[in-house]
Amino acid sequence: MKRSALAAGDDTAGPDGLNRVVAFLLTRTPLGALVDWVARVPASVHTKLLAAFLVITLLFITMTGVSLETIQRTALQSRKMHAAHERVEWSQHVDHTLARQMHFTALALLLRDEASVARILRENNRFNDALARLEAVGTSQERELIQQIRGRQDGVMDAVADIANAIRDGRLDEARAELLNRQERGYQEIEALVARLVQVENSQMLALKQAVETANFRSIILTACFAALAIVLALLCGFIISWSCLLPLRRADEFLGAVAAGDFTATIAVPNRDEFGAQAERMNRMSRELGRLHEEQQQTATALRQLNARLEQASRAKSEFLANMSHELRTPMNAILGFTEMLRDGLYGDVPEDLKEPLDDIQTNGRHLLGLINDVLDLAKIEAGRMDLALEEYAVQDVVDSVRVSLRSLAVERGLEFESRVSPRLPIAYGDARRIRQCLMNLAGNALKFTRQGRVDITVEQQGEELIYRVVDTGIGIPKDELEKVFDEFRQVDAAVTREFGGTGLGLSITKRFIEMHGGRIGVESEPGRGSTFWFAVPLRVAVTA
Amino acid sequence: MRSVLYVEDNEYNRKIVRQLLSRTSYRLREAADGEAALGMVREERPDLILMDVQLPKMSGLDVTRALRADPATADVPIIVVTSFALSGDDQRAMAAGASAYIAKPYSPRELLALIQTFLAER
Repeated sequence: MKRSALAAGDDTAGPDGLNRVVAFLLTRTPLGALVDWVARVPASVHTKLLAAFLVITLLFITMTGVSLETIQRTALQSRKMHAAHERVEWSQHVDHTLARQMHFTALALLLRDEASVARILRENNRFNDALARLEAVGTSQERELIQQIRGRQDGVMDAVADIANAIRDGRLDEARAELLNRQERGYQEIEALVARLVQVENSQMLALKQAVETANFRSIILTACFAALAIVLALLCGFIISWSCLLPLRRADEFLGAVAAGDFTATIAVPNRDEFGAQAERMNRMSRELGRLHEEQQQTATALRQLNARLEQASRAKSEFLANMSHELRTPMNAILGFTEMLRDGLYGDVPEDLKEPLDDIQTNGRHLLGLINDVLDLAKIEAGRMDLALEEYAVQDVVDSVRVSLRSLAVERGLEFESRVSPRLPIAYGDARRIRQCLMNLAGNALKFTRQGRVDITVEQQGEELIYRVVDTGIGIPKDELEKVFDEFRQVDAAVTREFGGTGLGLSITKRFIEMHGGRIGVESEPGRGSTFWFAVPLRVAVTA
Repeated sequence: MRSVLYVEDNEYNRKIVRQLLSRTSYRLREAADGEAALGMVREERPDLILMDVQLPKMSGLDVTRALRADPATADVPIIVVTSFALSGDDQRAMAAGASAYIAKPYSPRELLALIQTFLAER
């Protein structure tokens, strides 16, 4: 999983050097295990980042502490150095005043005056003073030496006093002997002690110097180590935490890619027990849910396909039934109407006068029944979607003439003027001429039926790419609130009208369907008592797909 | 004597044409299904055939096509009786080789006129 996630990363980021290095670090070194371990830590990414920053911050605080301590120690050492310098200075001063003391003693012996003796005493005071200062700052070992020097100094001072007295008294030989025997020896002893003191101080200073150098070196090393450790730790934390986040992201990317490609069996497995772990769990739930929905959808689609197939079969059965019914209904109608007509035409001999009317009634009602059958079958075919237009080129004038010829006898019978006006030079139209004729027949037939006196006119004109057919009558008209309903099935303004004028109530509905199949529009304007204008507009040339 | 063959499975419709033609000089022969019609045409070539579309065993259109395919009967006038409500029936009839068509239910008067038109032409 880890390798494949990295491989996916390589695909998206390109096979650059950095990616190869990261892949190597994660798969061939313990870093991979560390990343895995950090991912498994049950804490939020926020907490992990905070912990890492805290560790690094603590390291820097420690480093700062160590540096401060080093600075303090260095300051102490330099103070000590300063003191040591002072001591060395004072010890050299002691040495110097001792030399001057001896010098002035020798000078007093030569000059034999009081001023020289006083100089000895003054130098002696300076010596004592320097010794006291050295003692104040000296170490215990030095103080011991200083005590010894003091002891000798007291002896020397006695000798000096004796020498001074001898010089004052003029006992020069005695003084010289004193000088040589007592003072010279005392001085030599003191000189040796002072030399030792100077040596001790020097050696102490040297040791101190070395200690300071060592300490400085150590503190530099320590600081460098801490700095290096902090950098390495920061890099390590950054690498581990970032990859413990990046790996699940890459796996999520891979997973989402699979899901997007339609693989709902894909799952995502990450070791993380943080936000990424929770997210992976949610993504798995999503995948399962999607898979379930997909399966459901598939099943539904299959069921729908089967249902659709069954419906198609049922629809075919219905169409076949309609075709059969059409034949079955028409065959007896043919016989009824045929025999009636032959009877009425006197084929079987002369028809008695009182039988003529019932025979006409049979014929009228038989034709009405046939019209009903035709309308019902047409509408059923349209509803079943099995009605196809037979598109062909036709002349509008022919259609109008045919309607006028068919209805002329009805117009005469009802005593109405019946005219038609077709715009001259109309181009040849394209559509289902027989259905257009049927529509115009329905409108004109209705107009003739619903008009008691006056006239019915058919007009056709071209408007743009449309043919507008109009049937204008001077009939009873239609109330405004009924206008919208006239094209609904089995709709006539009222039952009394039906009784008076006949009609199936299907004609307008079928007409509307045929006009719509042509991609046209149908409408009516009417004023009760004044008359109605039914019109329809069809494309001059019907689109073949319509 | 001119002979007319009427192919129709309904007895009452055959009876209409029988009685319609009884007053004329035409000799009527009747077939109740498509196969019988084919046999009767081969037996004796009629001067005119009235052919219903929906017939048992073999449809009127198939019979028409078969007759048109046979050189011996290719030029016999055939009037196909179609059902108006089934759109395209007339076109199919003409495509199958009908000489004319008349929609059912027909007026006996009009049918007789059509028959006379065809037989007078000869």
